[in-house]
This record gives sequence, C-alpha cells and structure tokens, in this order.
Amino acid sequence: MKPLTGFSLLRPPTLVGALEMMSTLEHAQPIAGGTDIIPTFRDLGSKPVHLIDLGLIEELNGIIEEDGKILIGPTTTHSQIIASKVIENFAPALHDASRWIGSVQIRNRGTIGGNLCNASPAADSVPPLLVHGAEAHICSLEEGHWIPLLELFKGPKMTVLEPNEILMGLRFPAIAGIGSSFQRIGRRKGFTLSVVNAAVYVERNGDELKEARIALGSVAPTPIRAPGVEDKVRGKKMSEELIDEASAACVEVASPIDDVRGTAEYRKDMTAVLVKRALHEAWRRAGGEL
Amino acid sequence: MEYDRILSDLLNRDEYLVIGKKTVRSDALDKLLGKARFTSDYIPKDTMTVKVVRSTMPHALIKRVDTSTALRVPGVVTILTAKDVPGENEIGYALPEQPFLNDKKVHYVGDPIALVCAIDETTAQEAIDAVVVEYEPLLAVFDIDAALAEGAPIIHKENNVAVKTKIRKGNIAKGWKDSDVVVEDTYWSPYQEHMCLEPEAAYAVPDGVGKVTIIACMQSPHLVREKVARVLGWKLNQVRVIQALTGGAFGKKDDTGPLISGYAALAAIKTGKPAAYIMDRSEVVSVTPKRFPVRFKYKSGADSEGKLTAVEVEITLEVGAYANRAPFWLWRQTAHACGPYEVPNVAVDGRAVYTNKVYGGSYRGFGNLALHFAAEQQVDKLAYELEMDPVDFRMKNILRIGSRTTCDQLLDNSVGIDKCLAGVAAASEWAKHREPVRIGTKVRGWGVGCAYHGNSTSRSTPDWSAASLMIHSDGSLTYRTAICEIGQGSPFGHAKIVAEIIGCNLNSIKIEQPDTDSTPDSKPTHGSRGLMMGGTAAADAAIKLRERLIRVASNMLDCPETQVELRDSQAYNRKKPSIKIPFAEIAEEMHIRGENPASFGFYTSPRRFFDAETGLGYNYAVYTFAASVAEVEVDTETGQVEVTKIWPAMDVGKAIDPLIVDGQIHGAISHGIGFAIMENLQLKDGVVTTTGFKDYIIPSALDTPEIDDTIVVEEAYKYAAFGAKGVGEPSIISIVPAVVNAIHHATGLRFNTIPITPDRMHKALKEAGKK
Amino acid sequence: MVNFDLNGAHISFEVPTTMTLLDMLRIELGVTSVKKGCEQGECGACTVLIDGYPMTSCIILAPQVEGRHVYTIDGLADDPLMKELREAFMENGAVQCGFCTPGMLLSAYALLRDNKRPSEEEVKTAIEGNICRCTGYVTIIESILDAAERIAPD
Repeated sequence: MKPLTGFSLLRPPTLVGALEMMSTLEHAQPIAGGTDIIPTFRDLGSKPVHLIDLGLIEELNGIIEEDGKILIGPTTTHSQIIASKVIENFAPALHDASRWIGSVQIRNRGTIGGNLCNASPAADSVPPLLVHGAEAHICSLEEGHWIPLLELFKGPKMTVLEPNEILMGLRFPAIAGIGSSFQRIGRRKGFTLSVVNAAVYVERNGDELKEARIALGSVAPTPIRAPGVEDKVRGKKMSEELIDEASAACVEVASPIDDVRGTAEYRKDMTAVLVKRALHEAWRRAGGEL
Repeated sequence: MEYDRILSDLLNRDEYLVIGKKTVRSDALDKLLGKARFTSDYIPKDTMTVKVVRSTMPHALIKRVDTSTALRVPGVVTILTAKDVPGENEIGYALPEQPFLNDKKVHYVGDPIALVCAIDETTAQEAIDAVVVEYEPLLAVFDIDAALAEGAPIIHKENNVAVKTKIRKGNIAKGWKDSDVVVEDTYWSPYQEHMCLEPEAAYAVPDGVGKVTIIACMQSPHLVREKVARVLGWKLNQVRVIQALTGGAFGKKDDTGPLISGYAALAAIKTGKPAAYIMDRSEVVSVTPKRFPVRFKYKSGADSEGKLTAVEVEITLEVGAYANRAPFWLWRQTAHACGPYEVPNVAVDGRAVYTNKVYGGSYRGFGNLALHFAAEQQVDKLAYELEMDPVDFRMKNILRIGSRTTCDQLLDNSVGIDKCLAGVAAASEWAKHREPVRIGTKVRGWGVGCAYHGNSTSRSTPDWSAASLMIHSDGSLTYRTAICEIGQGSPFGHAKIVAEIIGCNLNSIKIEQPDTDSTPDSKPTHGSRGLMMGGTAAADAAIKLRERLIRVASNMLDCPETQVELRDSQAYNRKKPSIKIPFAEIAEEMHIRGENPASFGFYTSPRRFFDAETGLGYNYAVYTFAASVAEVEVDTETGQVEVTKIWPAMDVGKAIDPLIVDGQIHGAISHGIGFAIMENLQLKDGVVTTTGFKDYIIPSALDTPEIDDTIVVEEAYKYAAFGAKGVGEPSIISIVPAVVNAIHHATGLRFNTIPITPDRMHKALKEAGKK
Repeated sequence: MVNFDLNGAHISFEVPTTMTLLDMLRIELGVTSVKKGCEQGECGACTVLIDGYPMTSCIILAPQVEGRHVYTIDGLADDPLMKELREAFMENGAVQCGFCTPGMLLSAYALLRDNKRPSEEEVKTAIEGNICRCTGYVTIIESILDAAERIAPD
C-alpha cells in the first residue's frame, strides 16, 4: 500500500465540534472505524485533507429502544450490533447480516454508519435496514432531517450527503412478532465481500402475508427495494408457489454487472435463490408454517 | 552407504530415540513469544528505503528514462538504473534473458527499470511518481495462442518458444491399436499466487571496503550470493548472505530472493549506506513469479481389462515475460506425464511459450499439480468409460517395485503408492460411497486422486548437499545447513537426525541461520530435497563426529569402541552402563587431544543416466507418492462447493517427525483446495487486477475441511538418512484431482479448468439442465 | 501526541497523524511481534487487542488509540491463558513459519477469555480473520480447543 499522506486527523470530543469542522473545513470527511477508508485511501475519489474522527463522540454510539423505535448511532460497531439482544429480537436480518461483515477484527472496528456511508452496492447491513423501513438522520451544523434510508444512496460509493453533513443515526420501528431474514453468497466460507445479497421482512396474519418487503444488494448501482414484487404478494396467502413467483419476479428487477467477484448472470440467478430462502426463513421466524 | 539402515547397522539399536516421535520444534517457542525475527524485524528505524520503478507497459522499447526531476525531490539519495550496474546486468535463472534493471526493453507490467533510494517510503513514492519513462509501445501478447501465431511480436526470440521437451517410449501407434477405450480432452490450469503471509524484504549493509552483508527472505543463500555477486561484479567472498527466518515461501522466495537482495545490495554499495527493500502486498501479487499457467492436450487409451495402453500429451506452458524456471518445470511435467501409472507407449511434447505477463516461477508441486489435474481426470474418465471403479482402475495400473515410469525409469526402491491408495480407499469406506448422496439442495460426492513427485533435480543432473556440525567444550553443538527454515521444519528435521546419530539431547543442538560466510552450500531448499538431501548431509556430518566421540569415549571408558553407547548426551559402556560420561567431558577431552570437534557432512545422490534424445532414463533419485480421497458437497442451487472431508495418505520413506508430516499435509490440503475452488488471479491487458487478499481469496479457517488421520506409509529410501523422502510437495499434488473428481461424482460434471467457483459451477449445472 | 497504554505501560508519543498504529508499534516503539502482511485489514497478521478487542492495527491511525489499552503478545507473555495456548500450539505442531502466530494467538486469547468452552465453529469464526498459508488451520483449531479444555476442565 502506498504510504498514507496528505491529511490531518481531527478528533472532536463533541458532536457540535465535529459539525463545526465539517462546516468550516474544506475536503473534510468523517471517519469512524476506518475499515473502508484507510485501505483504499489512495484510491478515494474525494481525496480528503481532513479526517474527522467521530469515535470520541459518545452520543453517536449505541443502540436504544425508545417510543416503539430502535435507534442506532452511526459509530456503533458491527460487533455491538451482533451482541445486541434488542437487534436480535426486533431485526434478526440485521443481526444475521452483521455476522457476515468482515472478520472479528473488522467487526470490532467497523461501524454501521461507515458501512452505509461507504455506499457499496454490496453493503450487507443495507438490505436488512431497508426492509425494516429504516430512516437515516442527516445533520449539519444548521439543521437535521430524516430521510428514508433508500434515498441515502446516489450511486456506487456515492451518498447524498453534502460536504457539511454527517449521518447522525438510524431508526426503524420495533414491532413484535415480525420475521426478517438476510441471505448472501460469498466466494468462500471465510470473510469476503458478498457477491449477491438480499433481505426480506414479513408480517403475518394467520397464513396471510400481511406485509412483505424485499431488498436486494449487489444487483444495481445501489441497494434496491422491489416494490413491484412487494405489491404483488402483499395480502396474499403464503405458499410455495407465491414464494417462487416472488423470487422469479425479483430477477426482473435486478440489473447486475460482471466484476472480479462474479458475473451478472450469476447474480441474476442467485437473486431468485436468495429471495426464496429469505422468504422461507422470514416467514418461519414470524411463526408461520408452509 | 545405505542410509536407511543407520539405526540397525551403525547405531546398533532397535528403537529410535527421537526419529519418528512427535517433538516440539526448536523454533516454536520463539515464534509464539513473538521474539523470532523475520527480515523486516531486523531493519533499524531510518534505514534508507529502496523502491523499484517498474514498467507500466506490457511490451515496449525504452526510449528514455529521465530521473532528473525525481532526483530533486528532497530526501532522495540516488536513483540507479542499468548504467549503474557495476557487474553484469543479468539475473535470469535458466536463460540469460532477464536484465537486473531493464534499459532497452520491458516485457511485462512490473518489469524493473530503476531503483529509487530515499530517506523514507513517502519520499520514495514521490520520486517514483516523478521518474519519467518514455516508451515505444510494442504489440503485446496475452495468451499462448497469440504468442505462437504467425507474425506474433517477438518477446525474446523468434516463435516465442523458450524451450521444448520430448519423450518417446514404446510405440504410440501400437498403443492406440491396443486401446479399447480412448479419452481425449484439453485442460487449462491457471496462475496461482503463493500469498506467503510475509511480503518479501531484504536488508543490505555495506562495510565500505568491498563487502556487503545481506539479510533477506530466500530459499538458497548461495544462489542469492552467486546472483548478487555477478550483478555487483564482485567475488563470492565479498558478498555475505544470511537467510532470515522466512514467513512462508512455497517456492516463490527461491525466485525473488536474488532479486530483492540484489536491489538492496546495489543500493547499499552505491550509496555507502545500509538499504532496505520491503515489498508491499499489491506489489507481490502484481509482479512476482506465479505458478505457470499451462494447457494440456491429453489423449489416453486403455484396454477392456482396464490396463493403460497409451498416453499422448501436448503440453503448452505459459511462461510469461521470462523463462525463469520453465525448462525444469516443463521437464518435470513431461517426465511425470502419465501420472503414477505404468504405461507402455508414451509420446509427450512440451513447449514453453512467452507472453507479456507476470512470469512463472517455483511453486510447491512444480508443474506436477497442473499435470495431475489433467492426468488424474483422464484416468478417472477411462474408469468411467469402462464402468470400472476408479480406485480399482488405478490399482490395476499403479506403479510398484519393478514398474517403469513415464520416462522409463525402473523403480527398484521405495514405492509405496499402492499402500497409499489402498489405505485411503479403506479409511474413507470408498466402496460404501459409490453413489452421490442428495441432502436438501446439496449433493455429496467422493473422488480419489493419486500423485507422485520426483525428489531433487531431474534428468540425472548431479545433486549434492553439505552440512557442518561442531561440538563445543561444554557438550553443546552447533549445526549448520544452508537448507532454509521457511516454515516446513526441515532444519529441525536435520537436528533430529543429528541427535539420533550422535545420541545428544535434541535441545543441545543450536541450528544457526544460513550464512554464506560460514555455512556450507546445501544447494537450494526446493524440489522436496531439503530433508532428503540436506538431511543426509546432516547424517554424514553426524556420523563423522560420532566416530570421534566414540573413539575418545572408548578411551575414557576403557572399553572397545563397539561397546560404546551414546544416549542422552552421555557415553557409557553397554556392558557397564552405570558409569556415564557426559558429552561435556568427552568434548573437553577432544579439544585437549586435538581431535577435530567439527565435521563436514557431504552427500551426493547416486549417478543416474538419462538420454536427452528420447527423454528416457533414470530421471529422479526417488519419488514420493501420495493418494487422497475427497468428499465434497455441492449446493446445486448456488453452485457453491464445500470440501467437507479429506482422507490423505503419503509414502514419506520415513517420517522424521509426525507433527511435521501432518503439518505439511494439512497445509497442502488447504493450499490445494484454494486452487481447486477459489483462487482466481485475474489480469486485464497484462495488469493483475486482484492484487490483495480481498480479491485473491485463499482459504480461511472456516474453509477448512475435516481431515482424517494421515496414513503414513514408510517405504524407506535406501540412500537417504533413515530412509526419509521429501514431504512438502506430493501432498498438494493429489488434492486437486481428488476434489475435482469428487465434484464430478457429485454432479456428473467435469471441469477442464479451475478454480471451480460458484458461478462456474452454477453455469455448468444450468447448461447441463441439472438443478 | 498520543497517550495510551501499551502492554500495561503508559506511553506518550509524538506521532504524525498519517502514521498507522502498526507502523508506530513496529518502527517507532520496536514492537516487532506485530507483523505487516497486507496493510488492508485482510490478513490479520497485525492483530492487536485494543481494550481487549482484537483489531487489525494496519488500518488504525496511531492517534486513534488515545486513552486506550493496547496489548500485543509481548504484554501477555506471563498470562496463564496465553501460556496454555502456547503449550497447546507447541504440542500440536501448530507453528510453522510463525508469521501469522502472534496475531492468531491474540484472536484465540480473546475468544477463550470470553468463551470458556467454544465449539469448533466458534473457534473457526474467532480466527476467521487470521490467514495462515502454512498449517491448513487444523492444528491451530485443535490447539485452541485443547487450551480451553486445560484452562477450564469439565
């Protein structure tokens, strides 16, 4: 790796301090675990001159359940997410996905905020958050606003964050009795970037699919939902046929590319397989039977 | 001397003291404490950094190299190019076509052009970015067919063929006539990258008055010395090369050792300052030698009884930018072409072809891995054609004492492959697993692979090795070998051999790091010869010292020499065992009497005969054999392949240490699995695009299969210490075929290329209509 | 300036912000037990414990360990659990070239410290981020399970 040069590291102890820096400094970029930024520093398009370390700001870390919502701070590590009973309970897809991100060492350091802001179309934490209806809290020194998570992503490795903005947190509803599932394919059993991944969220009413949400990763420039497919299956009686129908329909929504990790054809085909497996598991977790 | 009979004939014992027993390696604790030092751990802070300016073109003439701007970067000490090479600007291994620093032409992306010497890495990188190289691009070729085509650009010579090989045995036309089934196919085995965990590093210190000392990663200090002295234009006694403990090598560091040492040494003597060259991971993956890619056009025939009748192979080896090891690699494939079976009619033609890509070099298996990938599938296919059990078919043809190999070498000693094959077939309950088993969306299958691998050099090139041993006046010993510790534990194996022969406590022997100023030339650590050749030189040194110890001890004990027993670092009269003299006293006495406390051990392998015309003859001193059964599970929905279990067997001659044998087998299994199902080096226009662990994935702990206890077969090799043969390579050779054949058993699909990644498996299943 | 605890001793060190924790440890502080294998966080040879958690030091900037407790195997040389691990590694032949060993030991140590009786799968997951090209992992996994058995027998 060519040596790291040309930047300063600032470590503001407060959120206000960080936002001030983001407002006043040019070419400033937030950093938390650095597991994406540091290895690829030389190739970063944005060439940051100031790295603003958010790691000291306590209020940006942690998982809390409040007013029927689950809030996750952006510097919460993947290890913290895996250890969280709240997440395991209310968002099993996110719990499962976090296990697949990197190795123990990476999970101890890498953060959910970083995973999101790195904005890889293959980011594992995104499909689960999308199907749980997550919203992202965008803040600058002047103001803050919530957006649906899907709108955070502009393109591969690109978010809508302005130079003076940071991702301040995530929230999604904490609903008992639901089922969600995350599935992925890697090139080996050991830690590796996902070739293709998907998440499903269901709410069950007897044997009826009261609510269904499907998110796909690595098959488009950004992670996507499949609203057309969701509409088709919502309210229907759950069955193997319905699952097959939904899985096949997701293939039409996918527009993957060839890259060093896999072919477009493979990704398309696997979309159906993963959605099928995710629907099965999510339904089972919601207490359903087939 | 028949070294396999040392125990009975020389030592007069029935039982071994240390040979064959599990022992803790002498270097393990230091490594576990983090105290063991690798090359870069020796480099003091603020040592001048050397970095290499490398070609960005795959094939081009160099019109101009302008270092003027780069030289003005503050902190740059100097920049060296070909004109600064005082000796010969040549570092090719087999063929003299590889400049140390290129000034006329570049042959692949990564070819070295200049050395930047600077105060630190950041400055060096800035300077590299400021060096201007003006190229005149030449047409580049990126595959063997393009390189062989009429009118292809010349890389080094007309027709781009570096070397050819040939074997003609029996009568191939008759062979086809005698065949009732014939199988013909084309196989492609790609690049593989060693991914040694330690990136290359070299540290050179000049003394200012005509000598330079180098500490570096390597597999042969004497080879490094020879190559570096030639580049510097110096005599051998002016270059001191020390091998530091090396963090994995697998062959690569035999090739990179001279290069990296040369860069550091040239920088050191030109600037008068100590110099350090450390490669980073992406540089290692992009520019250092790899496993040679190769194509096999393979035709095999057998009669209705299942006897192999004919084998015809056309081997086209992709060499890359430089021939390097190609002549030896291609020859090994040629000489082993039939696999470990007896075939009466053989025709093999090999050629090694240049392309403008990163070049091939030594890698565990040395051509046999790819060869067996093809040969063992051919044998499997013949078995299926004849509706014979794959194990039975192999047993019918397998090499035994009295058999003749591909190159007509008569095997008269040390052949244990039949036991290996029988062993793994029994251990895996082969007969019970003749049908694939469906488990949900997965299907489980079993496959077998056999392998053989000639130890040491080929074509009867003389091979020899030396070692030295010294006993100090307190009874402790120093042992020196130039066989390098690269993780495999060979030098420790030598120490065990010494301890067994001398009867000293194992921990009283200190193994010195190889140092060309004091260590005898053992020849390189490759070709599975480290223990077989190096260890026998150790035995010779030990036997000589033993003689003197016994002579002096018999004097001190006042008994005949034949009654003296050496054990636990003590000498005693077998007939009066209660009186024991510690080695310290004997050693002291030796010093007083002027008895040489040091011994020089030497071993040369038996003379061989080889006919260059036909390619037939006594090619290798001895072969090591292996057989494996693999169990795999294929997810038919996703195409993912998991190797779930391996049953390994190996004929090692004599297992000097079971822990070391197992260690080699387990490591080889992991390495082989990686090659079969996940390792995928990719290039675009001659540039490697998978430059790190992220995209060139190798097995992690989670990818480890269950590995059954190694079946160790010991068919002692007459001419090596205690009968020991080389272990490191055959283990990997049988794994890839076993896995690939198991995948076939599970899915009915054959793969003529590897790795069998999920998307390739999925595509094949889809096309075959199997889901 | 970074102030932190290294192997139980307080360190105050002037360091450029662009320097990684790995380089600070190896080059500036002479802790060469921590190895450099890839500088991408992918091989685990540079693993250290930060506040007890295994992390790859090659992708951490030196100032980011301000106020933290960093441990390498040097600081755990006399630790009873680390001793058991070493014994087990030696007896099982789990050390070959030794380059992955320091990082491997730290990942194993963190596992057994928090999970007295890990399953084989849990052991493999704990060392998933420590690549070894020599041993094939089998003896390493066995060693970790052995050490667990010995330090907390049934």
